[in-house]
Amino acid sequence: MAATATLWNKQMRKFLANPEEMFGLLIQPILWVVLFGVGMKSMLSADMPGSGEPYVTFMLPGIVVLSALGGAIGGGSVWLTERLRGIVKEYLVAPIPRLSILMGNALSTMTKSMFQAIIILIVGLVLGAKLSTYPLGWLGGLVLVAGFGLGFSGIALSIASQTDNPGAYHAMIMVFNLPLLFLSNALYPLATMPTWMRIGSLINPTTYTIDGLRQMMFRDPAALAGGDPLPLWLCWVVVLAFAAVGMGLAYAAFRKSIK
Amino acid sequence: MNARSDNGPAIEARGLVKRYGDEVVAVDGVDLSIPANRIYGLLGPNGAGKTTTISILTTLLEPTAGEARVLGLDVVKQAGDVRQRVGVTFQEMVLDDELTGRQVLDYHGRLYRMDKAERKAKTKELLALVELEEAAERKAKTYSGGMKRRLELARALMTTPEVLFLDEPTLGLDPQTRARIWDYLRALKEEGGMTLLLTTHYMDEAEELADTVGIIDRGKLVAEGTPQALIEEMGADTIHVIGEGDREAFVENVSALPFVQAVDVGRRVIQVGVDSGSKRLVEIIAQATDSAFAIQDITVAKPSLGDVFLKYTGRRLRDTDSTQTQHRMLLMS
Repeated sequence: MAATATLWNKQMRKFLANPEEMFGLLIQPILWVVLFGVGMKSMLSADMPGSGEPYVTFMLPGIVVLSALGGAIGGGSVWLTERLRGIVKEYLVAPIPRLSILMGNALSTMTKSMFQAIIILIVGLVLGAKLSTYPLGWLGGLVLVAGFGLGFSGIALSIASQTDNPGAYHAMIMVFNLPLLFLSNALYPLATMPTWMRIGSLINPTTYTIDGLRQMMFRDPAALAGGDPLPLWLCWVVVLAFAAVGMGLAYAAFRKSIK
Repeated sequence: MNARSDNGPAIEARGLVKRYGDEVVAVDGVDLSIPANRIYGLLGPNGAGKTTTISILTTLLEPTAGEARVLGLDVVKQAGDVRQRVGVTFQEMVLDDELTGRQVLDYHGRLYRMDKAERKAKTKELLALVELEEAAERKAKTYSGGMKRRLELARALMTTPEVLFLDEPTLGLDPQTRARIWDYLRALKEEGGMTLLLTTHYMDEAEELADTVGIIDRGKLVAEGTPQALIEEMGADTIHVIGEGDREAFVENVSALPFVQAVDVGRRVIQVGVDSGSKRLVEIIAQATDSAFAIQDITVAKPSLGDVFLKYTGRRLRDTDSTQTQHRMLLMS
């Protein structure tokens, strides 16, 4: 626990001392919301088909998740760099649990994703998104995103533990990143998808993250889903399981890499 | 400082083997026994197994076979305890250079659960020791190579280790910085009571620092002793001969001489260990004439650790061509 906190603290300190990274991380989600949101909105003539909600409300959780995915990819990159430069060896000769080394990285990635999520929601509000009025729901939504971020961080860390080549890492991570994002209800409602796509989306943890987010953070989730929302408890179970499996994969790959 | 319950060796290894797959044997049955408060120099060419040996002793790698203990603790079964009590510097620069020098030391102390006051005091002391006080608030990426090495050394000392492992501590540094690092290391042993194991492929470094030298080649420890004892084995003096002609005959004839203690044949140089160089020079030259071997250059020198190394490994340390086959003859008197 102490080691995780130390490594988290170190990553955050480096982040706060790096204005370029901070700027990029904060500006990216704003660009997504504004450019993508406004473009789609003009195409969809203001409101979502089948619901009275503006598209920006619909896509905000998608952008939150997209940013979390991007953050996790960045976290994997940091990990790969630390491995290649031997910095991981300093951790390995220290009397700390192996898992805490990965957790320090994943938790700092998650923290950054939280910042991004908050910014996205603020920009969304400015653009007319309709948030729920329950602060507890917002908090729950952030925790759900954190769990999702942890899961995908795990996938990124596991890939970054298995390759010594940054190009290969980025190519591999996209294989996971794209379907996780597009084969889900992030940008279009489940109800309007062809059946094969809906089935694909229903085995994707992203779908459960976003559905949970809509239910906890936004008004009128039924309208957003274009039908009955998924049970909220199921969203939690899937996301937490995803977090556990992701970190489990990362841990296994890391152990193998140091044999 | 050395809170040992028994008086056994600080570092010991028995039959240490590290194999990768079926083909590569990085360490091939190394035995070590290093008493506390010594500097042990592991000497060998690149790829000899030095780094792998250190990696096993510092718990980074598990051995394929054999066992090792540091401060009496098994490096596999009690890895956590070993980690708590040793310090390590790596062959390559391992620094998070986005951090300042002070932050590097502070985070390291935190990983070892030192409290704030302790970290502060130790950081101050070590920055003074390695003379980095003025650079302490700068990011490490602005440091020169020598400064980075000194910072790494300070980091390894942050947790007051009882045993310090240093993999090529002065690799690529200028002579001045090297001499300064040697001074620190000597002081750690003399004043700090530490045990140091360092690897190097610099002869002068081993000769300068080590109480005991182990020569490692192709994963095996081929010789061990004090630098002095190893050098004395070579004979009192060494005559270096370079020439053309019937080398085989010359070597054979010289080896047969009663006062010749060792003959080592390198690619160019033939080294002849004799009891007294100046006295025997003439007789060696006479042998050359008899053997139809034309001497181009002949010098008398006190043997060095480099000559010892050549004798045991058949290679000069700086030789890059490790595949060369060399005729080698040893005559131990």
